[in-house]
Amino acid sequence: MIAYLAELGKLHFTPDEMETMAREMTNIIEIMDTVKEIDVVYDTEADNKNVYLNDLREDVKADSFPTEKILQNAVQDENCFVVPKVVE
Amino acid sequence: MDFTQFTIEKLRQMLDAKEISTKELTQGFLDRITRYDDELQSYITVTSERALKDAEVAQKEINKGNAGMLCGIPLAIKDNICTDGVRTTCASKMLEDFIPPYNATVMEKLEAQHIIMLGKTSMDEFAMGGSTQTSAFAKTKNPYNTACVPGGSSGGSAASVSASLAVAAIGSDTGGSIRQPAAFCGVTGLKPTYGRVSRYGLVAFASSLDQIGPIAKNARDCAWILSTIAGYDPHDGTVSKRGVDDYTAKLGKSIKGLKIALPKEFFSEGIDKEIRDAVLKAAETYQTMGAQLVECSMPSLKYAVAAYYLIASAEASSNLSRYDGIKYGYRSKVGDTFQELICNSRSEGFGNEVKRRILLGNYALSSGYYDAYYGKALALKQKISAEYAQIFENCDVILTPTIPSVAYGINENISDPVKMYQADICTVTVNIASLPAISTPCGYSSSGMPIGMSLVGKQFDESTILQFADAFEQQFTSNAPMFSK
Repeated sequence: MIAYLAELGKLHFTPDEMETMAREMTNIIEIMDTVKEIDVVYDTEADNKNVYLNDLREDVKADSFPTEKILQNAVQDENCFVVPKVVE
Repeated sequence: MDFTQFTIEKLRQMLDAKEISTKELTQGFLDRITRYDDELQSYITVTSERALKDAEVAQKEINKGNAGMLCGIPLAIKDNICTDGVRTTCASKMLEDFIPPYNATVMEKLEAQHIIMLGKTSMDEFAMGGSTQTSAFAKTKNPYNTACVPGGSSGGSAASVSASLAVAAIGSDTGGSIRQPAAFCGVTGLKPTYGRVSRYGLVAFASSLDQIGPIAKNARDCAWILSTIAGYDPHDGTVSKRGVDDYTAKLGKSIKGLKIALPKEFFSEGIDKEIRDAVLKAAETYQTMGAQLVECSMPSLKYAVAAYYLIASAEASSNLSRYDGIKYGYRSKVGDTFQELICNSRSEGFGNEVKRRILLGNYALSSGYYDAYYGKALALKQKISAEYAQIFENCDVILTPTIPSVAYGINENISDPVKMYQADICTVTVNIASLPAISTPCGYSSSGMPIGMSLVGKQFDESTILQFADAFEQQFTSNAPMFSK
């Protein structure tokens, strides 16, 4: 199970790390299991009435970020992100 | 000049009367940081040069008679709030060298007031934790006892204010990350209503729960900061269009006739007796001021920690999927393929607590478990919100402890995530129900550590909880922390 969850999260663990993580996760999930004790059902309609959420702004044209600022934290070449070869 | 006695209100008068210049003030705080922060470790980055430049600009505004309330006030900023051109690490190796290309809206608003930014404060990695010991760069200590944790995740912000290494600070609160460290460090911390302050530029942890707020020496200073940072922002679709109140308007007004509810579950076993006694004594103080006490109940409290961790981790696992080592952030030196590079970058860049939350979030959202965990947690969010609404039908504020026990030793609890999670019992329901709450000191334990109480308000009624916190603070005598010379 932990290996599957790690794969979903794009994480890898050494066998020792995996063992520790499995033990800790078992204890954590035991606490999470308490939610199963109570009989409640999520009401989607009620959440949709939450009026202060998603106050969308007017769609107004604005300047984009300069390319060099967007790339300043990345490995870059000629104004492009550099990635390992993705196509053989 | 005693820098430990400075509050925003006091400094405003001194700066406007030219009793102190912004340069003297800034240099004084930078000197204190140099003197004490090697031991305290409250800052990840100290922005000395910028602070002195900010001081020059602020002084010009003061000289012109243009000073707003926060003009020339030295503040510290939690290191998960984006600062244009200033490294923002989130206390993670993943963002060790990250220079944001823009300011968070909160920073824009503070800069418009000409504040002085002293630096970026330490925190738990990606705001996940309650000790500031998961920080990859600065494991902050408690100014009341350096063998103890300052709380978290805004532990650096709380410790810097407590030790007077900043006049006030900005923090963020997802499940108690402003209020709990404020309680541990003997200062005042305000978590505003969800949607009151823009989250644009706050590095996302759990987007439906995160909220930015102030940590200060008292409620009055929190009110001044909230007045500056609150309000609509076209960059954040979840921020309210509702007008911003004058949060100082009710300060000093009588609380006579107002009602305080005490939910019995917050005072039951699991809360240290010293804390229970201190908060109940504070309730009596309010009674002598003319407030009425009302007993009430929140039956779902026992499910709150699980509901909170399921929702927060589910959102975190999604939010943190953006860290791929390509666009920004830590990039592994190993990885021949695109997938390998992403996996290695994430595995080397994230710490253990962050990885645990990603796994838990994936578990809660994965096929076959979604309804049993995440769906149930959302249902509990509605139930807890409804229970709060019912209590508020008959009261103005709710009073609870902020913490079940005072600050613990640096090496205690760290290896026991379950124990750490359960310690959030007093704070998480406020985030779940999107309510505002303020923590202020109400006593000290026999070991001399601060005890905090929380006042919870109705949605967007920050003014009333500030009024209550201020009323108590006016008659409460604080014990000085270390570093107060």
